[in-house]
Amino acid sequence: MNHLPFEEWLLNDMPVNPEQQRELESHLRNCSYCAALIETGKMLKVTRMASPAADFTTRFQARLAVRKVEERRRKTWGALLFALGGSVLLMWIAGPALLAFFDSPAAWISTGVGWLVFLGTTLFALLDAASVILNVIPSFLPPFAWMIVLSMFAGMGLLWSVSIWRFVRLPQGV
Amino acid sequence: MNDENAWVLQAQQGSDEAFTQLVEAYQKPVYNLCYRMLGEPELAEDAAQETFLRAYQNLHRYDSSRAFGTWILSIAAHYCIDRLRKRKFSVFSMDAEDEDGMQFEIADPASPDPESESAKREDRDRLHHLLKDLDATDRAAVVMRYWHDYSEIEIAQSLNLTVSAVKSRLHRSRRALAEMWQEEKSRAYPERRSRESLAF
Repeated sequence: MNHLPFEEWLLNDMPVNPEQQRELESHLRNCSYCAALIETGKMLKVTRMASPAADFTTRFQARLAVRKVEERRRKTWGALLFALGGSVLLMWIAGPALLAFFDSPAAWISTGVGWLVFLGTTLFALLDAASVILNVIPSFLPPFAWMIVLSMFAGMGLLWSVSIWRFVRLPQGV
Repeated sequence: MNDENAWVLQAQQGSDEAFTQLVEAYQKPVYNLCYRMLGEPELAEDAAQETFLRAYQNLHRYDSSRAFGTWILSIAAHYCIDRLRKRKFSVFSMDAEDEDGMQFEIADPASPDPESESAKREDRDRLHHLLKDLDATDRAAVVMRYWHDYSEIEIAQSLNLTVSAVKSRLHRSRRALAEMWQEEKSRAYPERRSRESLAF
């Protein structure tokens, strides 16, 4: 059976004029589907809102207080576990070195001083090499190559800024 | 700035008192949505409470260009949809209720006799069982449309759907209900159909 346009009128709750009303009534005499649409629609409309039991807000406040305590407890335990885990990891990594240090402090001190000297001399050597390279390279590189290099740095900086902005932007709605 | 906006702003700044005002103002619509979605008062109470807790925790994410009511009902609807999907079970109550949540019969001036009233109650119970067969999102759309008088735009905002999708879901739900209703009714009392009034 063709339900048009009656189904559209009923689904969209469209107002009908007297002539349309007569047509609809005539259609309803033979169409149980459209009659069911009307009946179910009426029933959906007449039911009222349900209300919660009294003192809903008081119960909410109590629940919120419990949730806050749980949240604090979870954060405290989380921080404690993190600190404990970090300490255990640190001990596991640094333990053998510490034991060795306490076994022979003089050897460790001389090794440490040796490393410091090595680091210092390496750093100075690298700085010298860098200054030589920076003095020599400009004469080899044409100006457009510098422009390309600078543009690449600018592009990377922009990409980085956009990424940071996107990550820190607060989402809207839930 | 109206009271509601002021409460939201104060609550966002950490005022529990302001949030309590929002709970007072929205407890009924939120509870009603949860009740119509989940079907049982205990589950509805739990879901409504959880909705407000989630709103409290996510208040910094609330976009003040939207109505607070739409936002909180959106949280409630999504929560109930998740719960329904998890348990795949729901029982609906289509009985009308008064302001205190007490159930009562809807008086129909056209049919005051007890027999007719009883038949209407049976019809409501039947529809109540049919509603649980709707998809959870469709059910949320139906509840928002018929219990909260939400426009299609508001439903779309609340359920993260397009307006045309909402319209289509509402139509689909109404069609499904009518078809199931028709089948149920002809199965339940085939002789009654012939005597039924078609007035609407």
